[in-house]
Amino acid sequence: MSNHTHEETGSMTSPYAARIRAIEALLLEKGVLTEPEVQDSISYMEARTPANGAKLVARAWVDPDFKELLLSDGKAAAKELGMDPEHPAEFIVVENTPEVHNLIVCTLCSCYPRAILGRPPDWYKSFAYRSRAVREPRAVMREFGFEPPEGVEVLVHDSTADVRYMVLPMRPPGTEGMDEEELAGLVTRDSLVGVNVPRSLSRTSLG
Amino acid sequence: MTFGPGDRVRVLAAEKPGHVRTPAYLKGKAGWVESVIGTFPNPEELAYGLSGLPERPLYKVGFRQTDLWKDYRGPAEDCLYADIYEHWLESERGTK
Amino acid sequence: MGGVHDMGGSPAGPVDKGQHEVEDWERLADAINGALGAKGLQSTDELRRAIESLKDYRDLSYYERWVAATEKLLVQKGVLSGDEIDERAAEIERRWNGP
Repeated sequence: MSNHTHEETGSMTSPYAARIRAIEALLLEKGVLTEPEVQDSISYMEARTPANGAKLVARAWVDPDFKELLLSDGKAAAKELGMDPEHPAEFIVVENTPEVHNLIVCTLCSCYPRAILGRPPDWYKSFAYRSRAVREPRAVMREFGFEPPEGVEVLVHDSTADVRYMVLPMRPPGTEGMDEEELAGLVTRDSLVGVNVPRSLSRTSLG
Repeated sequence: MTFGPGDRVRVLAAEKPGHVRTPAYLKGKAGWVESVIGTFPNPEELAYGLSGLPERPLYKVGFRQTDLWKDYRGPAEDCLYADIYEHWLESERGTK
Repeated sequence: MGGVHDMGGSPAGPVDKGQHEVEDWERLADAINGALGAKGLQSTDELRRAIESLKDYRDLSYYERWVAATEKLLVQKGVLSGDEIDERAAEIERRWNGP
């Protein structure tokens, strides 16, 4: 088990830190959980990062058949690239096109494709994002430095039930010569949620 | 499976105690069934340790943002989708 | 209107894009819930319900809500008692704060 450390900001660590440690100790003592089970669970989350999402996107950009699979059966596509998407929830990937830009939110809690991407960012879980993304998606995206081009529809997906969503962003222009690994390097976590788009080769800052 | 893609539906404006996954901002709002997602155990019952069976149909329901918010700032084409259980939906007849 | 967690469309300020370093206890909160879930001892739906029922929902951080809800569920199910958690947590705090 890792050692406890206090927050570097100088403020007291949350009282809940001791409570979860207490809960862990008691559950282990009573045999409700075992150490390997807890460790496996820690490892499970650590193994999942936005790089997985970037890999799915990059493969979809270069392989039209894979793209079709990704859009029709997200879990099957993830398994094909060696990922292990969690069982209960569905995993649906929605595609950005020249006509449509997608934005993902969970207003009720923080549903996110953790089995693929790992932990969501703090902002995704924030009250401000959960409250405003459904009502003023364009203003929220502007705060992230992104404005959809004229004529593009914005579609917001509120993950209210058993589906976890991820965005398949559009491939940036001028990337024809890049290989899959280089392409994956352009795909940011924020672009998988839809508050922004992938890095492009010729970056222009917003207004 | 009562509804199919394209069907016009309205979210029930019901107040239900306990755990529900139908957000308040959609209650009473009209939209369309975008797709049938599948059937799943009822989360309202799973939340209390019950089996949630029989499974309930779940739909991806689309709404025009301008139908949801009086002050929506954006084009009329902007939409919002939420995944709503069948027992929270009723058929909506009449014109758009 | 819905519970305090049911916040879609509510007025709110700018989105804080800052990211805090995930602390060890927060990783542990994730892990305990994951392990309980994997063993069928607790469902995501139960956890959500417990989080939504927290009186200080708005005052707790994300992982604080998780810990409070996990504790609530374990006590409700008779797996642990509030007293033994209190006792052990106090012991742990004493150990951390030193003599």
